[in-house]
Amino acid sequence: MGYLFDPDNWEWVVTSNNVEFLLEGFLVNLQIAIIAMAFSLIVGLALALSRLSRNTALRFVAGLWVDVWRNLPLIFVILYLALALPPSWRDAYENAAPEFLPDVLQTGRVFAALLALVLYNSAVLAEIMRAGIQSLDRGQNEAAIALGLSYWQRMRIVILPQGLRRMLPATVSQLITLNKDTTLVSIIAIQEVIRHGRILTGFNFFGGVQAPLLQVFIFIGLMFIVTNLALSRLSRRLEIRERARTGTTVEPVSGLEDQVAMAEPR
Amino acid sequence: MSSWFELLTDNFDELASGFWVTFRLVGASFGVAIVVGAIVAALRIAPSKWLPRFGGVYVETFRNIPLLGLLLISYSGLRRAGVPIGPWTAGIASLGLYTAAYVAEVLRAGVFAVSRGQIEAALSLGFDHPQTLRRIVLPQAVRTVISPLGSITIAMIKNSAIIGAALAINDILKEARIISSRTFETDAAFFWAAVGYLLLTATATVAFRQLERRYAIRR
Repeated sequence: MGYLFDPDNWEWVVTSNNVEFLLEGFLVNLQIAIIAMAFSLIVGLALALSRLSRNTALRFVAGLWVDVWRNLPLIFVILYLALALPPSWRDAYENAAPEFLPDVLQTGRVFAALLALVLYNSAVLAEIMRAGIQSLDRGQNEAAIALGLSYWQRMRIVILPQGLRRMLPATVSQLITLNKDTTLVSIIAIQEVIRHGRILTGFNFFGGVQAPLLQVFIFIGLMFIVTNLALSRLSRRLEIRERARTGTTVEPVSGLEDQVAMAEPR
Repeated sequence: MSSWFELLTDNFDELASGFWVTFRLVGASFGVAIVVGAIVAALRIAPSKWLPRFGGVYVETFRNIPLLGLLLISYSGLRRAGVPIGPWTAGIASLGLYTAAYVAEVLRAGVFAVSRGQIEAALSLGFDHPQTLRRIVLPQAVRTVISPLGSITIAMIKNSAIIGAALAINDILKEARIISSRTFETDAAFFWAAVGYLLLTATATVAFRQLERRYAIRR
């Protein structure tokens, strides 16, 4: 206990460039989370619509796809893709990555990480979106058909605006999970906050005294707690607003811990 | 495809031992998660001013921190601080305490799902708080929490892979990586590891569905 509360150790964490170095790493995590989220939303919507399609084959394939990626451990997918992706894909990513991204995110390894995060999260988001769309009253769709709207018109004007608004709180919760999951890319040597923490504590300072690793990682943990608490406040506020507006909640999606925890007072 | 089966038969002992390690990690962490989760849930519904807040801080802390960070704090961090903690203890404690936050939320939600009127009726019949909880609320709450507990268990099976990736424990994913780096048969090695995980998650799904059926209220 003496070690944990020793002010010298905490002072070490906040001296010179250490905090800056950790924040720099944390920024990479946030950027990975945002990029992965953007792509996951697009892919997830396509998967959700496929799962709700009238075409049996498409529905079956999309269902299988979603179930496979949702039920594999994310770290498993990351490690597999890092080993199995052909080098040409990585080169293609390095060429295609836009200039404004930081250097860390332009390396080919990041492609495997992003792909894994998108595969996993789009599957989860597809289920959230499906639940959101299915929670709508059937009459909405029937009325739209009766008005003579085409499939795309119905989706764009009637179904999606309502369904997607209902899934907003669940999506923010998933963003929290994704934000935590970005630390897993450190396993394939992408320079984000966990790596920065390890670099920082790998050296010996003060003439042979080892760097306070415990304090550094508690500090990293606190950064995540603060960010995610802010996100979960946002999610809760959206949830309350949505319930007040429509009087409905979206059914919790199975396999999603965050949703389970949110589905509390009906 | 035949070479994939060959890889399985050639490396069966390693894959099986990895499967068994993952199973034990999940089993032990599940025990920790249920016990700690129940205690935290009890704190959160306690009729007091400070105990629920204390439980709330626990839930928000462990739900918002990455599991990998928790593993590094509890293993590398504590070791650097002079605590001789082993990878198994650190891994099970991290996964257990992390999952306990979710378990606590589910248990609390289950208790809140019991209608207010029943609790008021019990209290007006002269039951005290622990009696109301034990006789009226918990028997009904148990039914509503089975299904979400199943989801949490499946998430925990998946999260257990992070332990093997971060610490020196040869779980099924680690074994697959070892086999893959030795034989260069990445696809086959990872395929069999995936089968291992899907076996575990499928078993958990079936088990919880059975439990749900057994405790269902017949009307």
